[in-house]
Amino acid sequence: MQADRRRINAPSGGTAPPIFATPKDTPLRRPTRTRKPDEHRKLFLRTGVVPSASGSAYYEIPLQSPQQPELLVPSSSSLKITCSVHGPRPLPRNAAFSPNLLLTTHVKFAPFATRNRRGYMRDAGERDLGMHLETALRGVIIGERWPKSGCEVVITVLEGEEDGWWGDAGGQEGGRAGGWGMMGVLAGCITVASAALVDAGIDCVDMVSGGVAALVQDGQDGTKVGGEAKIILDPSPSEHQNIRAGCVVGYLQSRDEVTEMWMKGDAGTQVEALVDEAVKAASLTRTVLAEAVREAMGLKMGKASEEATGGLKEDKGKKKDVVMTG
Amino acid sequence: MANGASTAPGGPGLSFPPETFAKLSPGPFLHAHLKQQDPVRANGRSPEQFRKPTINTGSLTHSNGSAVVRVGDTAIVCGVRAEILLASDIPQPPKDDVETDDLVEDLGLLVPNLELSTGCSPAHLPGNAPGTLAQSLSYRILSLLNSSNLISPSDLSIQYAEPEAEEDQPTDEFKTVTKAYWTLYIDILCIALDGNAFDAAWAAVLAALQNTSLPMAWWDPDREAIFCSPLASEAHKLQLNGLPISSTFAVFSTASPLKRREDVESWILADPDGFEEDLCRETLTVVVATERSEQNPGGIIRLEKTGGAVIDRKLMQRCVRMAKNRCSDWDSALRGC
Repeated sequence: MQADRRRINAPSGGTAPPIFATPKDTPLRRPTRTRKPDEHRKLFLRTGVVPSASGSAYYEIPLQSPQQPELLVPSSSSLKITCSVHGPRPLPRNAAFSPNLLLTTHVKFAPFATRNRRGYMRDAGERDLGMHLETALRGVIIGERWPKSGCEVVITVLEGEEDGWWGDAGGQEGGRAGGWGMMGVLAGCITVASAALVDAGIDCVDMVSGGVAALVQDGQDGTKVGGEAKIILDPSPSEHQNIRAGCVVGYLQSRDEVTEMWMKGDAGTQVEALVDEAVKAASLTRTVLAEAVREAMGLKMGKASEEATGGLKEDKGKKKDVVMTG
Repeated sequence: MANGASTAPGGPGLSFPPETFAKLSPGPFLHAHLKQQDPVRANGRSPEQFRKPTINTGSLTHSNGSAVVRVGDTAIVCGVRAEILLASDIPQPPKDDVETDDLVEDLGLLVPNLELSTGCSPAHLPGNAPGTLAQSLSYRILSLLNSSNLISPSDLSIQYAEPEAEEDQPTDEFKTVTKAYWTLYIDILCIALDGNAFDAAWAAVLAALQNTSLPMAWWDPDREAIFCSPLASEAHKLQLNGLPISSTFAVFSTASPLKRREDVESWILADPDGFEEDLCRETLTVVVATERSEQNPGGIIRLEKTGGAVIDRKLMQRCVRMAKNRCSDWDSALRGC
């Protein structure tokens, strides 16, 4: 690997992640799904985490299944995403005229976000996520109100979902098509970007929320075959041995429109049912989104009305207007 | 330029809210604040007042150690990942069994990187390679880690008792050989930036290293590889040599080539925020050790001053004293987490 001259590099011998030996006495417990098929995990969403940006939000799905504290290796991971929106800002001088707002999305996984350490350069998976996110947001932003302007949506994934249980043989790929963790991350990215856009005050027709559903076929007692295929929403990939298909949608609830749909795998005859389930998941996340945004707006309105009436903070003198004479 | 709600004396006047005035002429805005009898800064703090830090550790599941530090509006996340460097892979191996303090630096076992291009402020948008600020901050953290001897090489070596004699003959003589080293990748991400990234990043590194636990590792001679135990009871935490605390000061000065030296006014601002950092050219960083040692009775590990000549020896002593007082804030935050 070429040394990146602008960063501090690894030692020249090259390092490898540690290989763990199977513990003798402690059995490895695979996490299982204890929720109902149409129950979403608990979400946490907050806006205004980056004050210097126009708008920002933080999204988290905390750890659900009980971890095995005696093991250093975690059995599943939570999802932590932060988003900041910078814009609308003027385009650079040499850019061509654009009658609509120029949206640029940027998704980056932190190096400590996944079980294997990621590098600092953006790879193809992250660019792909950025494209899907842009499709989802472009359908909801009213672009013609902001000509000659650009808006940057920057997403940093502090912790990403895994593709499968690490204890499975070939657990990194998980299922037949693989890459299920990215779908959960995309659903989270759509929701958090939507919250940040509202925080930035960019005109949108509605709030878009992300939802993910999957078609799983787990056998009984942890075997891979023999079970019936069922559709669940908000899958946690480490809880299932065999995920046959997955679908992410970006959904506008008040208009009943879908701005983005990404399906992977072989759903057979149940394609429409899978999409419906993903839409249901998006409606569930929208309630959390609406609550978080309402709370943030309430705080902002409270501060604005305080400033308008003169405020009580006389000592700082910040609220008083500055008079320029002469 | 009055900073109060006085009416203009006769004639038309313009009045703006303070935020607009701050954007139009930030220098005179700050100067007007500091000029008063009781100097106060634009953010309401006194010139010698630091921001209160909060630290949370252990929130990242895939790291050996992690910390989130918030100082005012600056928020920094640090994750420490440990990987294995085999001694046989090192191109220029050090002499056997000599564990000097420089081993960590020579082998490059600590790899800190500070990433600012995360959209933490409008000036740091992603898509570019790290600029000079990010590169210099990463390098300063690396050099501070090495010069303060925070981690001793014995914590990072994986040793094996190799039998001295020929393979088939049983023997009682064993030679301890270091078969591999733990390399710590210290990834620091800035989530929100409002001035003074270095202090917060350094504190995040300290808190994450304090929180780091390394699994027990051994060399398997049959398979010629290092294996680790996944049991948390067999893992060991890193031992840090002392807790050096960093404090940054900025100097706001009205010096200009047109002014005489006697007319220049300057103020030292502790823990500058983003607005003040843009206006100040001169900065001073003081790193003090919380515990004194024989090599370092004064307790100062590092002094870095750039940008101007306002700070003389007297002011430097004052800043060092302020930095020492600041230690107690960070100490309680770091030991409490």
